[in-house]
Amino acid sequence: MRVELLYYPECPSHERALERLQEALQAEGVDTPVEVIRIDTQAEAEAHRFVGSPTIRINGVEIDPQPQLPYRLTCRTFVHEDGRLSPLPSLTMLRRAIRQAKEVSNDGT
Amino acid sequence: MALEIGHSAYDFSLPGVDGKTYSLKDFADKPVLVLFFWCNHCPYVKAYEDRVIALAKEFGDRVAFVAINSNDPTQYPEDSFEKMKERAQEKGYPFPYLFDETQSVARAYQATRTPEFFVFDEERELKYHGRFDDNWEHPDQVKQEFVRDAIIALLNNEVPHYSQTPPIGCTIKWKV
Repeated sequence: MRVELLYYPECPSHERALERLQEALQAEGVDTPVEVIRIDTQAEAEAHRFVGSPTIRINGVEIDPQPQLPYRLTCRTFVHEDGRLSPLPSLTMLRRAIRQAKEVSNDGT
Repeated sequence: MALEIGHSAYDFSLPGVDGKTYSLKDFADKPVLVLFFWCNHCPYVKAYEDRVIALAKEFGDRVAFVAINSNDPTQYPEDSFEKMKERAQEKGYPFPYLFDETQSVARAYQATRTPEFFVFDEERELKYHGRFDDNWEHPDQVKQEFVRDAIIALLNNEVPHYSQTPPIGCTIKWKV
């Protein structure tokens, strides 16, 4: 499984996002390193299809796809299960995305 | 470095989403002024939005709350004046929401983030600068309510326990 975390350093959520992502991976029994990618410029944002910090992809799939957003240097908003808006994905969102990636891998699709 | 504690509030003349133009004199009847840099798109603003609205409603008769958006809407269209109007109406902002199109007010206050709070006393001297409270993620786990504590201290003619905390949020989106 390939796990990527892309972040913009001016957005303060990335360290906690990495901690939460690692917690989710551990909880789902996935032992894989997180590839951390720093985005500093608009050109890098466009090259990496980066819509905001943090962007997390598992096997290349966004955990919270927001295709309407432009590529840019900013923080992004996640909607939690209880409706709260947050700069971080919830642990539940992360675990669900990891499980889905595992299921796709097991299906061989 | 933001405005130093004790510094006087800079005056401004900015349009609000309600069609009026505001300056410091419009808030002169209130012994405390809470001026905060704000926007639509930042998730930290969204995380704090309901808390700030609740505080403004609680203290609105004695404290002036003023939100200012200085972000460049060409890069961040969600922060345009039209979108500001929509957001204020949708959430029922109980405070003026002003557009700092030239970004001169943010520069004068040396603000860097949204949200970022400046609390002034009756003489409009800065008494607190920084974040709203100590937990942006979990409102039910907040231990220090910095802005609220500063307001209460100033209403009691006392010095706030905390005068400065580092603001947390998105960077202000400057024009290039």
